[in-house]
Amino acid sequence: MKYKITNGMYMALIINMLYPKAIGITQGSIAREVGSDMWISTLVATLLALLIFWLLVVVIQRIPELDIIDHSKVLFGPLFSKLVSLIMFIYFVLSFGPIMVTFVYHLKDFFLPDAPVILFIVVAVIVGSYAVYFGIEVIARISLIGLFCIILLNTLLIIGSLEDFDIRELLPVFEFGITSPILASRHHLADWSIVMMMCLVILPTVNNDEGWRRSSMFGVIFSLIFVVMWPILETGVLTSQVTSQYLVACMQMARSAHIGFFLHRYEMVMIAFFGISVLTQITIALLCASVCFSKLFGSKKYHPAILPSAIIMGAYGYWVVLNHNRAMGILENSWVTYSLSITLGIIGFMWIIGFFMKKKIKNAK
Amino acid sequence: MARYFWRTGFMLACLLILTSCVGKREIDDLAMVMGVGLDLVEAENGEQHVKVTAQIARPADARGQTGAPSGQTGEPIWTISATDKSIFGAIRKLGSASSRRIFWAHSYVIVINEDLAKNGIKDIIDFFIRNPELRMRTWVAVTPDNASELVSSLTGLEVIPGQSIDGLFRYSKITRSAPRTQMIDLHAAYLSDSTELYLARLKLESNEISNKQPEQGEKQKNITLAGTGVFKGDKLIGTLSAKETRSLLLFVEDVKSGVGIVKCQDDESKFSTFELVHETLKVTPDYKNGKPEFTLTVRTTAKLVETDCTIGFDDDDKIAELETDIENELKSDVTNMLDKVQNEFGVDILEAGNVFNNEHPSEWKELRNNWNSHFEKAAIHLNMDVKLKSGALLFKPTTSGKKVDQ
Repeated sequence: MKYKITNGMYMALIINMLYPKAIGITQGSIAREVGSDMWISTLVATLLALLIFWLLVVVIQRIPELDIIDHSKVLFGPLFSKLVSLIMFIYFVLSFGPIMVTFVYHLKDFFLPDAPVILFIVVAVIVGSYAVYFGIEVIARISLIGLFCIILLNTLLIIGSLEDFDIRELLPVFEFGITSPILASRHHLADWSIVMMMCLVILPTVNNDEGWRRSSMFGVIFSLIFVVMWPILETGVLTSQVTSQYLVACMQMARSAHIGFFLHRYEMVMIAFFGISVLTQITIALLCASVCFSKLFGSKKYHPAILPSAIIMGAYGYWVVLNHNRAMGILENSWVTYSLSITLGIIGFMWIIGFFMKKKIKNAK
Repeated sequence: MARYFWRTGFMLACLLILTSCVGKREIDDLAMVMGVGLDLVEAENGEQHVKVTAQIARPADARGQTGAPSGQTGEPIWTISATDKSIFGAIRKLGSASSRRIFWAHSYVIVINEDLAKNGIKDIIDFFIRNPELRMRTWVAVTPDNASELVSSLTGLEVIPGQSIDGLFRYSKITRSAPRTQMIDLHAAYLSDSTELYLARLKLESNEISNKQPEQGEKQKNITLAGTGVFKGDKLIGTLSAKETRSLLLFVEDVKSGVGIVKCQDDESKFSTFELVHETLKVTPDYKNGKPEFTLTVRTTAKLVETDCTIGFDDDDKIAELETDIENELKSDVTNMLDKVQNEFGVDILEAGNVFNNEHPSEWKELRNNWNSHFEKAAIHLNMDVKLKSGALLFKPTTSGKKVDQ
């Protein structure tokens, strides 16, 4: 990718990639396991993400011009890089399941129950592919607008729900012990894994590689600020039992918000702000999958890979969201296992192997 | 040329799917429900069915504040009902009688008849929380009257009865005659492992004097807030009166204002009335000898608003005596309510379990399974602290200026 993005855009991408699923669907999953301690799980996952991000930046900074696939090519040759491309392509296809669950269930279940599922998938794939065609710079610029919308959405929600907030619902802390919230943090860490995999592909396009570590850390910390208010408000306003009942807990939260007497049910306004963030997630997943797909077949440009990637991802996304039960099964079980294994496996392996192949890295530089 | 063709084709395809027409609902195709009533009825085959009554606004006759009757029917609402085994079935039947699609998103209130509530309201909670159309902030209440009659009664100053009921709840922070229960609270309380359900109670009361025939007195019925319905699980087991509800609200809501009436010390046939402001309750849970205990501390500021006695604010001793009188009065109100809730109903609607769990989480794990029976036996100590700080606008007592020889 020849385009470059600024460190600010990079931070905005991190926040936008994490936000849509983390605020509601993930919180519902966590609430089902640890009740009112969901904010603790969110915090634990973010601290772990901070550590993994540090490793990730160390890995890419070894040869800052190359993404993780090209890194693997330099270290182990073209065949190994094809394997990494394939694994990463499969990862991004799988990631389209949770992303489509977030997109479709927010819109269809709450606003357009009569619309067919295929419509949402087609719209997501067409709009996403169109943005991917113009490249990372355009997507990153949109994500800056997305960041502004996230701030507005959070502000609207705080104003609309503080009146009904009961801090007693957050107590007692560690109701299910100390290990349960740590274990439940895997759901949010799986959200973080998409962001990490994105960074493995797009980090070389970020200007000023010396600032990567700082930007990544700030991106993670800002994401925590934007996300953690949701489990706190969901517990204090809805209660953890209510949050755990819903697939999309954040929409239930949005439906319950009201400003004064007259401004009720402004979830339509909130969903509009939410839209850009979820669109960023869709486009980045498509972009990264296209890049991996093109590298798998040795193409230098990713544009020819957009269509096949979009068709495969769209088909998988459609299959996942078609059945609520299947979607939640994948989301809470297999997706968490596969996503964390692949992400931690790739980053951990490349980090460790870098110590043994310093000479090759030096030559490549 | 081919590129131009594909680009045009792509844009035309986008036009088809991005028009936002799927699932559209035009406002003039909708029948906006303003209130829902649920009653228990017996079907011809002897089965118990649910009767759903929907109060629907007639837009042509419900315009503005006065309901200028441009529809010429003179009726700002249209009320229909249908009966079926399930709520959804009845709602579908309502649809077959309506010329517009029935739209539930703007319903202000759901009223459940007490006979139906005694059979259990789990299905009602489940139906209304599953429905994406309904607001979670819809008021929910029980009524001893027919819910169908209640939701179709024109009441209050508003043109739409649902709007009037909404107003009753909105300003009930001052009257404190019923809890402000919304669907979201109902849902949370039902799922809670400690707190039982309670709902506001609405009643039709003859309290309106006809402007055309004032000599007939209070003949016309209006909807009034009338206490609290108390549930065990999902079944209604009893009610608290409006007076008892005032004490209940100290535990479960932020209360703005209250009233205390005490007898005059020099003449017991006369009374002084105090407005109680800034009422706060602190619940301190304790665990002694394997049993939960609670210490309640109520603090309030009283304001003298009406009196038949001679009370001046320059007499500190008299003020202190009055404070004790108000404390005793309030103590007896709260004790009566606690007695009813603990001994008659045996259910925790005071969120005591929640407070206990927050302070004693490890002990809570032992008690949570049979919390109601532990709550029933829990000792509750009550401390009152009333400060009489003002006589509103007056400083000196209102006494007659006429001098009479003793």
